[in-house]
Amino acid sequence: MTKMDFLERYAQENEPYVCASCGNCTLVCPVFRSLKWESYGPRGKLHIMKSIIEGDGEFGQDFANKIFLCTLCEHCTSVCTTGISLDRFWEVTRAEARQRGLLPRPAQFVLDSLESRGDIMWMGSADRLLWMEGIEEIVTDRILKHADVAYFLGCNVSLKSQLHDVARSMIKIMEYAGVDYTLLGEKEVCCGAPLGWAGKLEGINEMAERNLELIRSLGVKTVVFSCPSCIQTWSEYKRHLKEENDLELLTASQFISRLIREGRLKFEEQPMVTVTYHDPCISARVLKATEEPREVIEDIPGVYNVEMMPSRKSTRCCGAHGLLDVVDPVLSSRIAEMRLRDATVTPATRIITECPRCILAFDLAKFTTGYDITVQDITQIVAESLLPKKEEDKKSAEG
Amino acid sequence: MRKVDEQHIGDIVGADNVSITHETCMIYSKDVTSLPDIAYQIVSPKFDVVTQPVDVPSLQNLVGYAIDNNIPIVPRGNGTSGWGGSIPTRGGICIGLSGMSRVLYFNEFEQAVTVESGITWRNLLEFLERLGYTLPVYPSSATAATVGGFVASGGLGIGSTRHGDILKQVLGIEAVLPNGKVVRLGRVLLDPKTDDIKDEASKANKWLEMELEAAGLGTPEKETKLLTGTYGTLGIITKVTLKTIPNLQLVPFASSFDSMKDLVNAAARMVNDTQPYFLRFLADNYTSKLRAIAGNKLEHGKYVLMGALLDTIYNNEDNIAAIQTITEEEDGIRLDDKRAWFYWNERLYPLRIKRYGPSLVPAEMLAPLDKLPEILEKTKVELRNSNVAIEGTMSNDNSSSFMVWILDDERRSFSFTVGWQRSFRIAALAQRFGGLPYAVGLWNGRHAREYYGDRVFNNLKIMKKRLDPRNLMNPVKVFGGRVTAGRASKSLGFVAGFAIAFLMGLIGPELIGWTWLAQIMSSNLVQFLPVPVLIWVALLGGLLGFSIVYFMTINQALSVGIPVLRFLSKLMRR
Ligand SMILES: Cc1cc2nc3c(=O)[nH]c(=O)nc-3n(C[C@H](O)[C@H](O)[C@H](O)COP(=O)(O)OP(=O)(O)OC[C@H]3O[C@@H](n4cnc5c(N)ncnc54)[C@H](O)[C@@H]3O)c2cc1C
Ligand code: SF4
Ligand code: SF4
Repeated sequence: MTKMDFLERYAQENEPYVCASCGNCTLVCPVFRSLKWESYGPRGKLHIMKSIIEGDGEFGQDFANKIFLCTLCEHCTSVCTTGISLDRFWEVTRAEARQRGLLPRPAQFVLDSLESRGDIMWMGSADRLLWMEGIEEIVTDRILKHADVAYFLGCNVSLKSQLHDVARSMIKIMEYAGVDYTLLGEKEVCCGAPLGWAGKLEGINEMAERNLELIRSLGVKTVVFSCPSCIQTWSEYKRHLKEENDLELLTASQFISRLIREGRLKFEEQPMVTVTYHDPCISARVLKATEEPREVIEDIPGVYNVEMMPSRKSTRCCGAHGLLDVVDPVLSSRIAEMRLRDATVTPATRIITECPRCILAFDLAKFTTGYDITVQDITQIVAESLLPKKEEDKKSAEG
Repeated sequence: MRKVDEQHIGDIVGADNVSITHETCMIYSKDVTSLPDIAYQIVSPKFDVVTQPVDVPSLQNLVGYAIDNNIPIVPRGNGTSGWGGSIPTRGGICIGLSGMSRVLYFNEFEQAVTVESGITWRNLLEFLERLGYTLPVYPSSATAATVGGFVASGGLGIGSTRHGDILKQVLGIEAVLPNGKVVRLGRVLLDPKTDDIKDEASKANKWLEMELEAAGLGTPEKETKLLTGTYGTLGIITKVTLKTIPNLQLVPFASSFDSMKDLVNAAARMVNDTQPYFLRFLADNYTSKLRAIAGNKLEHGKYVLMGALLDTIYNNEDNIAAIQTITEEEDGIRLDDKRAWFYWNERLYPLRIKRYGPSLVPAEMLAPLDKLPEILEKTKVELRNSNVAIEGTMSNDNSSSFMVWILDDERRSFSFTVGWQRSFRIAALAQRFGGLPYAVGLWNGRHAREYYGDRVFNNLKIMKKRLDPRNLMNPVKVFGGRVTAGRASKSLGFVAGFAIAFLMGLIGPELIGWTWLAQIMSSNLVQFLPVPVLIWVALLGGLLGFSIVYFMTINQALSVGIPVLRFLSKLMRR
């Protein structure tokens, strides 16, 4: 019989039995919705887990692969009748898969990359400066400067050229509003989240700490992120963060919304743009940051948001979270296509979101489906709608 | 039964829509009730194959294949029921219907919607809500249950306090019969332009009409009850036309009481005076558990009556005042709106309290409203050594369904097995007060006659024989039938038979003074085989015991098994 004492170690031994088999989780699970078989859905996986505990199955490669067919999107957790923290359950099961040497190869690649390069893409610290091309004179002085606000880009925005504009937009916004900010530049390393997704829970704190040590040394009070998973990771694994360090972690839209309320951002009238806001899973279900992005969009004159169905905390995953995009790119892309369809049935011409992985996933899905729709980060639409500075001065003089 | 041929089935339903993996077959063989191991001594532990057909013609071909090869078939929605209706009794083919889930027709003038049976109630509700409509009745499992599953089971749901059971909301049904024919009962509304199987269905309807006539029944138009509430034993539902209602303003309310008697008095008056859309009660042992989960702002150990008014704004104002007055006159307290909304939202999560198990043994009954306080009191006494939580729904005919959740831990396998009989015990108790099992499925087949009434049950039996003479469609459910005896029960049968025959052969002749028989027993039957006759007799007894178990019906098995478990449970308590 397979030994399953890891469940007790992580205080999860009751959960497969607490499951009421009601099926709520399965019907919202993007992997089940795509593959159609219960053995890939959360309820089915709990049944398999139970059968392994009872000696009627094996914790082998097949089960380990199934556990990685999951985006860790928290949708199951958010609807669970009996309050099972399913994402935690999947993560500790991934950790056990790693302990048993059953990691799928792409997940192992990510782990190796994190350990040797400090990022998920086998690049390196020097590549974290590439996004600054063209704006070096503005940002170079900001690197490792003492400041109130730190902008933490995360691996995707730093290293993927399609996302460099997200970072540049954030810089434009901060410069416009006169924010005193700092960047970690090539000293930034991965936030640690992918370690958990790849089953190395014990490495997360160390990785997070490498960034946090720097941040603390710069006297930072607020950290602004372009990726919600970075915030989730730091707040979950460093619960004492706020109390001990008085450090505030904000999503881009939470930060931008604050700048707007403080009157530090002014917008130019846009020519009737209809957008639809896609809530990233972690922003909506974990960080509960669903209203700020909508408020920001509402504040840009001429930009209208139409809601996708479903949205807010019932939002559907883009398919690229939890390493699914590397473990099974085809499945990941199919999930993105399903979500893209939710957007294309609205009258919107643009999808706005605030997660780099969602942007990458939709870009790929656009390619595979042939749908033509612009996908932008919230910082991008904000940055391009800012009232040019001279005009702003004129306006305030008139005012 | 011939072995299932995955490839052949794949040719019929599409290779992606069939699976014979151990895991898949195991998962689809479960419903919400955790069964003790002993249950698998009378039903088979899993299906041989799981299929998910995506259209009616492939479903018809699949049924045809199963019948030709003598393979049992079991329709399944999303497995959210707990009466064993969708679990395998003799292995065979599971037919998952959730892949057929389109909305096919909606007409606001006819106030009707036609859907494929695999759609979930939630998806249908969302579709209608966008158009300003809703459903008169839907189950509290709406988030996952399929339309086909609830219609096949019958029963009360959200909205039943005003509109009655789900079967009253069904206008028409399309189904594939056990012989593969596709028929339409009642009025199935479809757009003629997209109705591809209209001609085939009307031909089959003519055939069915003759069959019904021969059985002394009415036309297909009138006999929807053949397929509603019969748990997929007479056909697989493929389309359902349901009534819809305008999505009017909804006003939730909640009141708390110190006793079940006051609550029931208030409930009866509220049903009569305000015709609420929904009325549900939570007993003291339920609210105290909910409070521990949901935070301490809730009513601890109180009896809560919650519901919602669905009406015009004008009527609501009157009715809200009536709810207030009735609550006060029956010594209750009307709870604030925040709590009323909390309880309203909780209507979809009756299983929340399972966290306290972690396992649940459910017992659900229908009872006259006025008898409810007495039944619940007796239930508490009967289950005084168990951890229970009770809740229920009021219907609009002075009856109520009530659910007794017995919390347990299936990992303590002996006590869980022995405790399984408590569910049946509550059923027996409620019956003493004029109650009935809430549902039939597999486990309540013994009560099918009382449940449907004599006349209806006889008609159903006649039609089952005509339509499914080899009992392959969802066998053993509703109508009973032979169990699939597990190895342990067959061995037990043999050992018990052997032991009884041996003892009787050994001491019986002496007891009645037949010494000649005693001599025969100890002599050898055949010279060269030194085995006494007594052993042969015992072996014969063993064979008899084995055969009894092998040929036993489910109802006989339960009639023997439950008292035995009960006896063991008493012994354990001592
Ligand atoms: C949280 C929760 C709340 C519930 N609330 C209610 C409630 O309010 N009222 C109530 O009555 N029940 C309730 N139930 C029980 C159950 O949800 C309902 O009976 C439900 O409608 C079953 O739907 P299903 O799709 O899961 O069907 P299954 O459980 O898969 O099947 C139920 C029965 O129907 C048969 N069947 C399924 N689909 C078809 C088909 N297309 N054609 C023919 N036969 C078919 C199956 O063989 C089986 O006998 C609840 C259950 C849960 C878990
Ligand atoms: S986290 Fe998302 S993908 Fe994973 S099981 Fe839950 S719902 Fe499915
Ligand atoms: S929602 Fe929770 S209780 Fe329901 S099946 Fe999923 S894990 Fe089990």
